[in-house]
Amino acid sequence: MFERFVGEARQVALQSHSIAAGLGASSVEAEHLLVSLAGTQHRAGAALREAGLEPQELHAAIQRDFERVLAEVGIDARGVDVSSNCRRTKLGWGASAKRSLERAVEEAKRRGDRKIGCEHILLGLLRAEHGTVPRLLAAEGIDRDELTGRL
Amino acid sequence: MPSTAADLTHPEDPEDGLAAVVALRRLADQIDDAQVERALRDGWTWAQVAEALGVTRQAVHKKHARRLRDV
Repeated sequence: MFERFVGEARQVALQSHSIAAGLGASSVEAEHLLVSLAGTQHRAGAALREAGLEPQELHAAIQRDFERVLAEVGIDARGVDVSSNCRRTKLGWGASAKRSLERAVEEAKRRGDRKIGCEHILLGLLRAEHGTVPRLLAAEGIDRDELTGRL
Repeated sequence: MPSTAADLTHPEDPEDGLAAVVALRRLADQIDDAQVERALRDGWTWAQVAEALGVTRQAVHKKHARRLRDV
């Protein structure tokens, strides 16, 4: 599916695998694409950082989200490091990441762009209504429209 | 913080409840990884680990063998 992705966007997709592995995930999910994007030189990465979403802040936000969500069902996960057990070598794409990449392709099509770039990946990620990414954005007080406006 | 069993399985908002399912799977996976590795390091066989987990030997082997091939 990556043949229409520009080099930087492919790099974001590739890098998201090491980020997921580093976080001890068993699959690559949308939040890993978001962290990957936040680390790029592309303006989509700059837009995230200007909004306060540096990769390190996102890592911390993912941990806080994990703890908050488990607290909702009465489980105290404070101190459970989500990045422990990072021994898996080859991760597959999880549903949320696949969905985001499909949406990136749709966004490019909608805008009449032939190639898929980092800006489309960000737009694809911002379209999710449920799951970790929208929760992270809400918790960090991010205004999606303002963020897309920076692109 | 919910305090009764009913509260635990019925967070008020489905968004929270479904997110908890995802986080619990994640947590269970991590405990699975850590404990299977520990058991093997302690000399347990794949068959013993499988029996303790209540799954088939094939299932536990398929999930962990590649990751733990050097254990």
